[in-house]
Amino acid sequence: MDIQIIGQMVVSGALMGLVYALIAYGFQLTYSTSRSLNFGQGELVMVSAFVALSCTRLGLPYGLMVPVALAFGALAGLAVERAAVRLALQQKSEGWIMLTIIVGLFLYSASENIWGRDDRPFPTPISSDPLHFLGIDVTPLELSVALGALGVMGLIELFKRATLLGKAVEAVSADPDAAELVGISATRAVMLSYALSGMVAALAGVLVSPITTVGPTMGAALVLKAFSVAVVAGLDSGFGVVLVGMFLGALESLASFYLGSGWREAPGLVLLILALAVRPHGVFGRAAIRKV
Amino acid sequence: MRGAEFLALALLAALPLAVRNPYALGLLTLLAIYGVLLIGLDVSVGYLGQINLGQVAFLGIGAYTAGLLVARLGWGLAPSLLAASGAGLAVGGLLALPALRLEGPQFALATLSFSALTVTALNELESITGGAQGLSLTRPLLLGRTLESRGFYWLCLAALALVWITMRNLLGGQWGRAFEALRDSPIATDAMGVGTYRHKVAGFALGSGLGAFAGGLYAFNFQYLQPQIFTYDLMVVLLLGVVLGGRKSLWGAFAGACIVVLLPNLLSSRRLFLTLALAGFAAALAAGVRALAGRRTGAFQALAPIAATALLAAGGLLAKHTEDWRKAIFALMLFAVMVGLPEGLMGFCSRFLAGVFRVPPPALPPPARLDDALPVRAVAPGALLQVTDLRRHFGGVKAVDGITLEVLEGSVHGLIGPNGSGKSTLVNVVSGLYQPSSGRIRLRGAQARRPGLMAMARAGVARTFQNLQLFSELSALDNVMVALGGVFRLPLPLVIAGLGRAEERRAQADALALLAFVGLEDQARTRARDLPYGAQRFLELARALARRPVLLILDEPAAGLAHPDVLRLIGIIRAVHQRGITILLIEHHMDVVGELCDQVTVMDGGRLLAEGAPEAVKRHPLVLEAYLGAPAEGLGEAAP
Repeated sequence: MDIQIIGQMVVSGALMGLVYALIAYGFQLTYSTSRSLNFGQGELVMVSAFVALSCTRLGLPYGLMVPVALAFGALAGLAVERAAVRLALQQKSEGWIMLTIIVGLFLYSASENIWGRDDRPFPTPISSDPLHFLGIDVTPLELSVALGALGVMGLIELFKRATLLGKAVEAVSADPDAAELVGISATRAVMLSYALSGMVAALAGVLVSPITTVGPTMGAALVLKAFSVAVVAGLDSGFGVVLVGMFLGALESLASFYLGSGWREAPGLVLLILALAVRPHGVFGRAAIRKV
Repeated sequence: MRGAEFLALALLAALPLAVRNPYALGLLTLLAIYGVLLIGLDVSVGYLGQINLGQVAFLGIGAYTAGLLVARLGWGLAPSLLAASGAGLAVGGLLALPALRLEGPQFALATLSFSALTVTALNELESITGGAQGLSLTRPLLLGRTLESRGFYWLCLAALALVWITMRNLLGGQWGRAFEALRDSPIATDAMGVGTYRHKVAGFALGSGLGAFAGGLYAFNFQYLQPQIFTYDLMVVLLLGVVLGGRKSLWGAFAGACIVVLLPNLLSSRRLFLTLALAGFAAALAAGVRALAGRRTGAFQALAPIAATALLAAGGLLAKHTEDWRKAIFALMLFAVMVGLPEGLMGFCSRFLAGVFRVPPPALPPPARLDDALPVRAVAPGALLQVTDLRRHFGGVKAVDGITLEVLEGSVHGLIGPNGSGKSTLVNVVSGLYQPSSGRIRLRGAQARRPGLMAMARAGVARTFQNLQLFSELSALDNVMVALGGVFRLPLPLVIAGLGRAEERRAQADALALLAFVGLEDQARTRARDLPYGAQRFLELARALARRPVLLILDEPAAGLAHPDVLRLIGIIRAVHQRGITILLIEHHMDVVGELCDQVTVMDGGRLLAEGAPEAVKRHPLVLEAYLGAPAEGLGEAAP
């Protein structure tokens, strides 16, 4: 097989993998503050993409549509936190797993009825005429995905490190009880992390939709891979998700080329189960000591 | 309860004689199949307390195993059903080996991936499964006779009844208790010698086997299979069925199956749906207002179900086709139930009915004699526990740094030292929770071959925990019964056949004797987490004694106890000692140590500081310095 074709597969797969990394990063944001994550995150990606599509239909320019979609994502994240997570966290139960699944199910059904069941194209001003680098084609659209994903992750990391509010979130991640003692509200920090996570999901939706089209089922496929990335990298691994996301994206496009497109999900799933079996805390994560 | 089960079975069996409608018969058949499936799912979701998103894959594996055996190899009905269950059991066990070391979200994700992978495989292995085209089969013969739909319904119902009886006998006994125990505290389950891992794997494999069994019936019912039947959508509906019906309850699983099967039909009539939605709204409103007025719950728990049911009713009025909104309706119902009635519909109903009719719980047997529950042990002179140059380091922290220690058989050995001196780490290593970094631990001269909580528990070490590790959802009686050593000997098949009752009574009697020994005989039915703090400490002691240990390790048993309770504790420990049990006691209360211990070891900074009789140790200059931070002379001057 031609090395060039393999290179092409790896590069476009890895660029796509950054979307998985972005969604996985959203899981990390909430997991770090509250040890919980939104199992309906895929639906959040999908609904945000539909909202963005509707905005475009209403004639909003791309530059305005993106902030609107991001704001919607943040609000949706807050709603998930309020409806499905907070009570379970207060009760120190794992009820949030079921409740976020329920919220996701509701969003799925609602979008199916509001926007229809068909996959629809998503207009974008960014060109998809390929550019050539060393015999490998890359479209500006793919590059925009990469830039957007890396850019927002960088901004959020900067926010966490350089601002007082961000440091408060970090404090809650490190030790919620100690943070409460010095006057930081853990609940607020968790809310903020869910808002950021929803925003990240919305951005993922806006970025990926021009490539994959928009439809009610788009979220489920994306979120499975994002789960794999988050777990394989480790739910507290920070930028580890970027590496794992790109690796998984590349692996997936090779698998679909060699094994057939039906198998494209398989490597991620196998990797997830293996990673959990061998290193439950992930490749880049840290193991915790059992305390009694 | 037995009567209700029998009545329900008779009613279900008689229904097809009265109702000739093939559609209704189809629903009843599906109800029986889903009943089996959800009972299986309840093992992991209810008893093991894990969100299992893989049950639908086992339904698929069972369906395809049975379907392929029949369609390709011409197997009969009974062997292919058996093979399907076996496949589910085996694959479930294999998946459980890695997956069950995980907790909570990680476990949910592992099972979710597994089901996605299964659907991919069913789709892509076209040469075997027929891929997306589907697999057609004809229902095989049962003992040479064809089954028409009514006969097949009775077969499914018989299967449900069989599974029901099996599971009732199994889950009502020591197995069910072990499942629940490991959900509440895996560490204590191991420390009590029950075995977290093996029970988790067995429980998950069992639930998976039942799922695959249901899958076999499913294949013979529809006689046509497609991979996309067994996807996430169905999984969510099943999971929600269990939660809605009520976890840890056969009736709950059955109620869940009813809802899952009947829901599409309820939605087909707008009036019926609207009536139900409004009824739900009224119930949520009434319950919410009452709860808020009585300040019994938070505002969210009262208001969220009202909002969800209101949305349901409004949707019923506004939506054009309620069937299209099926999933959203399901989601709203579930949301209301999960927040408002966490124990599910059947859990609520049974509590409500028990309250209305004042059903007394089944009577307990009289307590056994203490000599039977906790036989007096003959003390052989010599060392029981020998610890040699033991080290346990965490990164750079040398929590235990070269401890050599000997505990004589039949003694009460005190272990004291300032906070952070490594006492708890030492007993955690001795009891098998942590692996030693280096050094040797010998019990009666023999070294444990495989260190670990289970191995040490089996060797006769029982312990309590500084931070309580009770099985908080179980009653005090059950907490003790889980740990009872040497009572449950009946082989599994006989337990399943329902012959475990005599053993269960004996175990109850023994456990009651131990509860009486620590003064908790009146609290036997109280849930552990509802007991006051002091009583929880005593319950942990009773649970450890249920192991009939050789060596009992007590990790700060008096911590946080009120003075009268401390005196009671001293009395109990002394009585335990008199029964020939060797005790290793970590304690801060010097009066407790002085009162009880024959020998005291003092630790500081992970090292041995002093050793000797309590009075001698108390005056040891190094000990005074470690505790008070001042040389002994300085202390003497400052004292009045």
